[in-house]
Amino acid sequence: MTVDHNLKRRPVVLLVEDNSSDVQLIEIALSRTPGDIALVRVEDGDKAVEYLTGTAPFHDREKYPLPTTMLLDIKLPKRSGFEVLQWLRSQSGPIRRLPVMMLTSSKHRVDVNGAFERGANAYFAKPESMKELITILGDFKSFWLQRLEFPDLVPGVFLPPRPR
Amino acid sequence: MPPLEPTCKSGIGTLQGMRAHPFGHQPQTEDVFRRLVESIRDYAIFLLTPEGNVASWNPGAERIKQYQAHEIIGKHFSIFYPPQDLAAGKPNMELRVAAEVGRFEDEGWRIRKDGSRFWANVIISAVRDDDGTLIGFGKITRDITDRREAELRYRLLIDGVTDYAIYSLDANGNITSWNSGAQRIKGYTNEEIIGQHFSRFYTQQDTDAGLPARVLEAAAIAGHYEGEGWRVRKDGTKFWSSVVVTPLRDEAGELVGFSKITRDVTDRKLLLDTVQQHAEELELRIAEREQTNAELEAFSYSVSHDLRAPLRAIEGFTDIVLTDFGAQLPTPAVEYLRHILQATGRMNSLVRDLLSYSRMSRLEINSEPVQVGKVIRDACAELDEAMRSKVAVSADPSLCVCAHSVTLAQILFNLINNGLKFYPPDESPHVDVNARREGGTIVISVRDEGIGIAPQHQERIFQVFERLHTADSYPGTGIGLAIVKRGIARMGGTVRVESAPGKGSTFYLSLPAA
Repeated sequence: MTVDHNLKRRPVVLLVEDNSSDVQLIEIALSRTPGDIALVRVEDGDKAVEYLTGTAPFHDREKYPLPTTMLLDIKLPKRSGFEVLQWLRSQSGPIRRLPVMMLTSSKHRVDVNGAFERGANAYFAKPESMKELITILGDFKSFWLQRLEFPDLVPGVFLPPRPR
Repeated sequence: MPPLEPTCKSGIGTLQGMRAHPFGHQPQTEDVFRRLVESIRDYAIFLLTPEGNVASWNPGAERIKQYQAHEIIGKHFSIFYPPQDLAAGKPNMELRVAAEVGRFEDEGWRIRKDGSRFWANVIISAVRDDDGTLIGFGKITRDITDRREAELRYRLLIDGVTDYAIYSLDANGNITSWNSGAQRIKGYTNEEIIGQHFSRFYTQQDTDAGLPARVLEAAAIAGHYEGEGWRVRKDGTKFWSSVVVTPLRDEAGELVGFSKITRDVTDRKLLLDTVQQHAEELELRIAEREQTNAELEAFSYSVSHDLRAPLRAIEGFTDIVLTDFGAQLPTPAVEYLRHILQATGRMNSLVRDLLSYSRMSRLEINSEPVQVGKVIRDACAELDEAMRSKVAVSADPSLCVCAHSVTLAQILFNLINNGLKFYPPDESPHVDVNARREGGTIVISVRDEGIGIAPQHQERIFQVFERLHTADSYPGTGIGLAIVKRGIARMGGTVRVESAPGKGSTFYLSLPAA
């Protein structure tokens, strides 16, 4: 049994987002809130799947560590967010447990309901102002990343218990 | 053998010389025969001399023709005929035919003793002796007036039906009878059409396809045929007919012909075609509308996703510049950046309200009974807490309105929000919401005592993007009241305003009571 010390140090968040402005704003918002995280980003649904399966070039887990959680947009090039979700939840390995938070500009009921039906664990609509984005991502880090228990995602590799 | 002579001795003439009759050989049998004839009351059975004088009389004859034996025996039988038959020489003609061919049968009017008429079935048979010499005639007459009247009534009935063509065909399809309805509908007279084949009513195309024969065949097999189709009148015009064909069979079950009942249902057909056409057009339009709705849905989805993304970037980066570098910037630059932030805020509001307005036009709105008090509470819950205390609600909790609660709540929110907004800056706003029943209608009023609306603007305010004030003095997108108007119309209600500048405004919503 090995304990992933990298994960112990800081949680890895996989951001699946095609809009680079949004990526930049999210990075800035995350940097302005307490808590150290590693943000890795892919720009479409296919890349998200490749990242999670460890398909080249993502097989290097030193460089592309398996995420603790995924921030997923719905409207994406190639595979949509919903398709990524469906793919993820239909996997046979423990990766299917990956906690997923939707972060999208849509507030449509169809999208909200559809995301939870496909196994999303949370849903945030991108706010209109930077200030709200900072608040939301601050909450995400302080509650989601620091308070929740996370599932094991790699066979034989267990997360250390969260320090009390 | 001497010819038959009239005798007055009894009701039955003595059948002298009629030994050829099988019963005539034995007096006893002759007696039985006499008694038989004498007992028959339904038939007049009597003998005539070769000249046509009555030679015998039975009770049936007495009953039918009213003469007693002694009154009529010896008289010429032409006494029974009406004047026109006499003038035509019919009595003697009948005897002549009977003498020549042995038998004559006829139906026609005959006259009773009291002058009244009856419809008679008459059979005259020549009676000859062993040598073949005519010795007289036997006459059997039946009163079939009742049967004739029944037939006549039936024929009049059939003929009186002008809305239906009722006619009969023989087994081959040739026309054997024709009523006035048939003449009216198809244009042929009796004389023109009797004996013609019925396929002439069909279009060339149907005839070529063998339809007439198939119709008869189907009727003969199934015992019934019903159909509709175009048929051709005598003048060549077409009509849409509804047809029922029934095979006619004799007692032995042998096919003897067909009865046909045809109705001209062209008007109905054209009406149905029109209705059908309208229904198809309607379906097409519904499909188009559904497609338009789907396109609008996709459009608004795209707007909410894509239009807002650059706005987020403008707002976000401006905010970051202000936060991170604001201290290093000259004051006007900071001011301009704040304008950019305000503009993005307004743009976001506009996008939001436009989406809401388009949703109000597009979404399916199902009205159902809704408690007015609850919807007003829902609307107030959307207000900022500070504003909520400035709204006074008086609504009978039992009042129920037929509406879509989410839509009605949004409408009320817009009205209450407006009421609170349009006050002079130095006054504390307040809004009264009231609901009451007026007959079958629930009227909800939202009243403020704010700046009011001049009469000339009271129509305009319900249009999209219409504003009476600058965004600086009274912020807003100019869509709120358009949403109100569209939403209330979608629920089958109305909105109107009563207002005067400086006196405040009251908006009235009318909706059907539930």
